[in-house]
Amino acid sequence: MAYIIEQEVVKYVCTCGLLKPISKLYFCRYCLEVRCGFCVCHEVDSHFCEKCLENMPSAEARLKKNRCGNCLICPSCLLHLSVRAATVGPKNPEDPKATPRKVVYLHCLMCRWSSRDVGIPDQIAATGGWPERENVYNVRLSEIIEWYKSVVLLEKQQKLEKDKKKQRKYMSFTDKTGLTAEMIRKRIGLTEPPNPLLKTKAKPLEGAIAKEDVEELPDNIFTQPIKLNEITTVQQRLLQPEWQPVTVDKLFPIHKHLSVKQSLRCRSCEHNVSKPEFNPNSVRFKIQLFAYYHIPEIRIVTVEPLRAGQPAELLLKFINPTQHQTVVTILDLSSMPELIQDDKCSADTSTDDELKPIEKEPLSLSLTQSASLLHTTLSRQPSFTIKPRQTKQQVGADIEIPAANFVLPPRDDAAEFDDSGENYNFNDDPRLVKWRKSNKAVIKLQITPSTDLNLGDQVVVGFVMQHIYTNTIATSVEKDKEPQKCQHKIRVFLSLGNLLGSSE
Amino acid sequence: MPIYEGYGTITDKLTFIIDIGAAYTKIGFSAEFAPRAIVASEVRCKNTNQVRNIYDYKDKEDLYDLLVEFIHLLYFKYALISPKDRAVVIVESLLCPTLFRETLAKVLFYHYEVASLLVVPSHLVSLATLAIDTGLVLDIGYTEAVAIPICHGSPVLHAWQALPLGSQAIHSHVKTLLSADNTGIQNISESVLEDIKEDIKVRCCFVTKRERAEKLRSVSSDIAPCPSVVYPLGGTKSLNVSGKLREMMYEIFFDEDLDHLCISTMILNVIASVDVESRTLLAENIVLIGGTCMAPGFKARLKAELYRQLKNERYSKFKNIKTIKFHTPPAKENYTAWLGAAIYGATEIVSMKALSKDQYFKEKRLPDWWSNLKDVVRSI
Repeated sequence: MAYIIEQEVVKYVCTCGLLKPISKLYFCRYCLEVRCGFCVCHEVDSHFCEKCLENMPSAEARLKKNRCGNCLICPSCLLHLSVRAATVGPKNPEDPKATPRKVVYLHCLMCRWSSRDVGIPDQIAATGGWPERENVYNVRLSEIIEWYKSVVLLEKQQKLEKDKKKQRKYMSFTDKTGLTAEMIRKRIGLTEPPNPLLKTKAKPLEGAIAKEDVEELPDNIFTQPIKLNEITTVQQRLLQPEWQPVTVDKLFPIHKHLSVKQSLRCRSCEHNVSKPEFNPNSVRFKIQLFAYYHIPEIRIVTVEPLRAGQPAELLLKFINPTQHQTVVTILDLSSMPELIQDDKCSADTSTDDELKPIEKEPLSLSLTQSASLLHTTLSRQPSFTIKPRQTKQQVGADIEIPAANFVLPPRDDAAEFDDSGENYNFNDDPRLVKWRKSNKAVIKLQITPSTDLNLGDQVVVGFVMQHIYTNTIATSVEKDKEPQKCQHKIRVFLSLGNLLGSSE
Repeated sequence: MPIYEGYGTITDKLTFIIDIGAAYTKIGFSAEFAPRAIVASEVRCKNTNQVRNIYDYKDKEDLYDLLVEFIHLLYFKYALISPKDRAVVIVESLLCPTLFRETLAKVLFYHYEVASLLVVPSHLVSLATLAIDTGLVLDIGYTEAVAIPICHGSPVLHAWQALPLGSQAIHSHVKTLLSADNTGIQNISESVLEDIKEDIKVRCCFVTKRERAEKLRSVSSDIAPCPSVVYPLGGTKSLNVSGKLREMMYEIFFDEDLDHLCISTMILNVIASVDVESRTLLAENIVLIGGTCMAPGFKARLKAELYRQLKNERYSKFKNIKTIKFHTPPAKENYTAWLGAAIYGATEIVSMKALSKDQYFKEKRLPDWWSNLKDVVRSI
């Protein structure tokens, strides 16, 4: 797609106030609003290994610390390691019948690092079984963690008991009726069952002991010249945070880090706007509500040389991507007052308020099901939407808003190849619509760059595009009902180029 | 939450631990012994295609956008978990600007909708890795060196000392020394130089001994500096890193300025400003954290410098301090603070003391670290 490398000259204003090209926008069909990567909720969908394209369930990925079990990367240059086979002599060379053994080792095709360099023994099976290294402080650190856990737990217990004692001052309803299990237990003289974690009282841990003698510099550092290619770089060290090897002979192969597929969710209605397919081989989506499929696309055809104060002709091409006919009206930027007003009041008040979350009812899904059925971690907390920020784009040219609107026919893939009949009977205003073909139309607009601009400044024009959006969700549920139509407005900014000097 | 996330098999909650440093950010999960990744604290700006450090922010809005970008990277490239409704532990320096921590909290709560946030001070949690409660923690990071004593589990903040001595100072010193050596560094473009400064420091330089440094500095030195290194530059060129540069690089840490301030006197000043009973204890429990402390020979030199300074008349009141002892945390210095936070994150402190989403929206601000932690920590 040309969109990826193209300069961003036509920008749409997302609901959150950011300017994005249409290829980076989503369109939520449920709220009928434009969303972008900044204002949707990102979620990790599935883990997979980039190299072997193997899917990994997230529980397994967690256990394996987000690393692929089979693929290894070179610790020196970070490219994938390949497994090489080699033959070595038989175990007992005296035996004439013995056949040479086959062994495998790891080898980097890029930098020629090999597992033999660092003394990793060759393996018999190609699938791995490469020795894993353990953190040398494992035992001590797990002791420390256990100890801290027990200390905090003890404190929590004490706090609970303290709270209990406090409560006793006042007679509560449950105390009166004596219904709680705790009260009964107390009455018959049983003590409270201690917390199972507290029972195994961690033995008091000895703190580390500081030493006076420290590691001195080796004497040969002053006389021996160093070989730079034997010392690792910072990047190589940081790849293995636990060991951070200083010399290259301590570099060990690293398991490939996994990648994820993300799904995106609209923050105000909790519907997915993009959801990839589970299979890592597939680049398709289960749900893809890209704005490119729903909102008319605008392209700049030509623009006359821009001179301050002089009107120039601007030709824009509009393309309707939907299966439904739409009517596009061009309006002045001020025709979206509710948004602009909102922006103003947020800018005027203190900056802390600008990000105020808009309160929302919890999802009906979690309400209908009983709380006991749903584990607290399983139920999704509803997202909240953040107030949009003010768009800072300055407009540098006046635009003559055409009085008429124009019709864009639905997209028809077959019409692309049909060169014959090109007679449309839309009552087009000939001053506005210059050219038509299937679902595309070119319109002419008059713009006048502002006289305040300096020579060489970027000229930006903005307008509101209002188009009729036909919502297709309702029709799928109730067949006989007419598809729901609505007027959707979106602000568009076009960067037309630099201001030229006067023509004289 | 996606259905593929395995609930039931692993029930314990995963707490995400982030330590955003000035140069490198350490991330990982609670109860693990090493960070999952150590990544440079920078993001590539999408519009200008420039790499920007997240501390180079212009204003609040700019920082918000930088952090959104950066934390997205941390979650979806390195940690591979959904940020929503999960607890986060942030390691921060006690001297962290309010603007930064407030904005960070805002990004995490508003943009990423985390369930709760626990902010722990880096100096304090570093002691957790040693299971001790008293010690003098010296953090030498990228921009500054900060020493704060911790007495019985509570940071003694009034005794803090900080100096702008860190990797950044070293890096600018590399440039000065290289141009003084006339190695033709003027012909090397600024961007290339930025990349190699850290590499030269890490791979070639070390902290030399005091006697050698003094001799090398005098004009008529009778000792030869260590062998010089030819540092390759882009395949065809090379840079001669002299032996003197290799040895003298870290001397700026130990050169006293006009106020007699350097790394060693900083430690002694910290000791001087705590009560008399704690002084010996602190001198015998020095903990070094931060990546810059990993320079070869640094600890040995610091020890020698401390002993030398103790003989000085200014510190004559420290008669009782006979020995100076250093701790060796069960981790590399550059992620010791992270490890401490991972230990904290494994305990119930996260559920007891963390700031929850509801509380944050009510208060609209992040409480200062002491109001959040002081009572918990003391009991440990």
